[in-house]
Amino acid sequence: MHVRTYLLPRPRPARATRHAPKHRARSLLLAVCIMAVVIPVSAPSAKAYAPAEPEQAYAPVEVVHTEQVQAGPYHLTVGFSTWPLRAMQSLDFTFAPDGGLTGKSGTLSMTGPGMKGGRREAGPLSRHPRKRDVWGLDIQSLSTAGKWSFTFAINGPQGQGTGTLDNVTVLDQPGPPLALSWALCTLPVLGLIAFLAVAWRRHRPSRHLAALGI
Amino acid sequence: MNPVPVSAPTGRGGPSPSDRPATGVVGAYTVLAGTLMSTVGLSWDVQWHIEVGPDTFFTLPHLILYSGSAIAGIASLVMVLRATFAQRAGRPADPAAGGSPVRVLGGTFTAPLGYLVAGTGGALFLLYGLLDLWWHSLYGFDAVLDSPPHVALFISISLTMVGSVIVFAAARAQRRGRIGLIVSIPVLMTFTPITTYAFQRVPLPLDPKLAGTVFFAVCFVLMGAITLRHRQVALSIAVVLGAMQLFLWWFSPWASRAYADYVGLPLRDNLMDMAPQLPAGIPMFMLAAALVIEGLLWLGRGRGWSARWLPQLVGAAGGVVVSLSMLVQTSMLRAGAGRGPMGQATTSATTVLIDVLVGLAFGALAGYLAARFAVLLRLNTPAADQEGR
Repeated sequence: MHVRTYLLPRPRPARATRHAPKHRARSLLLAVCIMAVVIPVSAPSAKAYAPAEPEQAYAPVEVVHTEQVQAGPYHLTVGFSTWPLRAMQSLDFTFAPDGGLTGKSGTLSMTGPGMKGGRREAGPLSRHPRKRDVWGLDIQSLSTAGKWSFTFAINGPQGQGTGTLDNVTVLDQPGPPLALSWALCTLPVLGLIAFLAVAWRRHRPSRHLAALGI
Repeated sequence: MNPVPVSAPTGRGGPSPSDRPATGVVGAYTVLAGTLMSTVGLSWDVQWHIEVGPDTFFTLPHLILYSGSAIAGIASLVMVLRATFAQRAGRPADPAAGGSPVRVLGGTFTAPLGYLVAGTGGALFLLYGLLDLWWHSLYGFDAVLDSPPHVALFISISLTMVGSVIVFAAARAQRRGRIGLIVSIPVLMTFTPITTYAFQRVPLPLDPKLAGTVFFAVCFVLMGAITLRHRQVALSIAVVLGAMQLFLWWFSPWASRAYADYVGLPLRDNLMDMAPQLPAGIPMFMLAAALVIEGLLWLGRGRGWSARWLPQLVGAAGGVVVSLSMLVQTSMLRAGAGRGPMGQATTSATTVLIDVLVGLAFGALAGYLAARFAVLLRLNTPAADQEGR
């Protein structure tokens, strides 16, 4: 990029805040034009932000595969919204204990290849935001391919029980190699660095530091 | 884009300078309003995912976030077209209205530098938005900040914010230009460190979020202070940053809950009483760092210290203050899960030592670059230094 600066010996503006009405009108017209373009562009989105029924706006949780886990006295059905699992591909998980959630609570910890410390810290089991009758994780992905396990600790009327779903296979990530995606998505940074490098080379700011002052 | 040097006449044959700033100020503040909308929209969206969850493209936070870039991008385009038409009509270019004019696409367009950068950010946002759509079709609607298209979108918005800073720096001879710069810099300070999320899965010997926060906070505050060369600029930037943090701290959770209530969605179970994520990552004690920066600049200027190393000294001192204050901030905001905005809160002697070193190194680097960036901003419209003083 070739940038030339202008050393204009411009006269001092005569109180720039006072403008002729004609120019105020021009400014107003410009603002109106901008808004006139933006509003139609954003209108379709605006219509959608207040759905009549929440379930109409958000995709339902569809379980396409299940696994069974026995956590002490509690039997748990683990559901997956996509199968087979692939690394980095997000999906809905559901955890449904027999007899419903009433009177039960618990924690979930996950173990997978490449995780720091080998295991994710246990978190409380929460109801799925789009399927409130079961516990679950919404739009979560598993970061790496390999064997994963899910360990449940359930508390309920029959006491405490722990169970693990082992050897859940997660296949390689879909799509192009991650390095290629990152290379494509860091182009704006590289562009910015190139822009700064050109401006730097052209103006040599270090040489002007003393003259311009800090 | 194939810009070449402008050779158009830039004499005094056109309209008097006093009739130019009106449209310029509308354009500049429209771009700034767009960047503010992007910041508010992102903070709201992040909080929405934490507290509520269900996601589609058509949510109100997304509308605000995307409209912000659209408004800033369209305003930049309008200003570029205006400069192009003015140049074709033989009117002189005014570098104070967006920066030095640059010829783009072989002279098809004449773009003020600031609007060129801001508009490029807006255009890239659109392109990477399409890539993000493809990404979600392949990987699902993952609500993570560190996917490649999301990082590219954040960088694109940051570019628009950089453009906004260039635009206001070019108008620094006028009071509204200086005010715009003092507001646009904290917006950039809030948004740019988000890009460091890209490194959170890379095994590094230091915390990339902390390093990014130190670097960008010190760099932009110092750059603003040196560009304007007015007293209390660093303090003013810190005050605006604090006001933005307070607003987002209140607004993001409130808006998430109000919107969830409006559309009839429940809040997530087991919500921990954590501070709102985006505003909690903004340095809370920036005023202290700004005081140190302001004090050292005053001392250095008064005693005639060398301009070659004063910025690095000021940057290193400011960097240590920001770095250690983030340690305090993380400890203060530690929630039930023991995590704060900078991750796990630990206060061992080693952690303090590493944080001091991070502050020194990234602060000094930020100081070095800040002074040079300020020089570039001032060379972009050198005439402004002879005006309004």
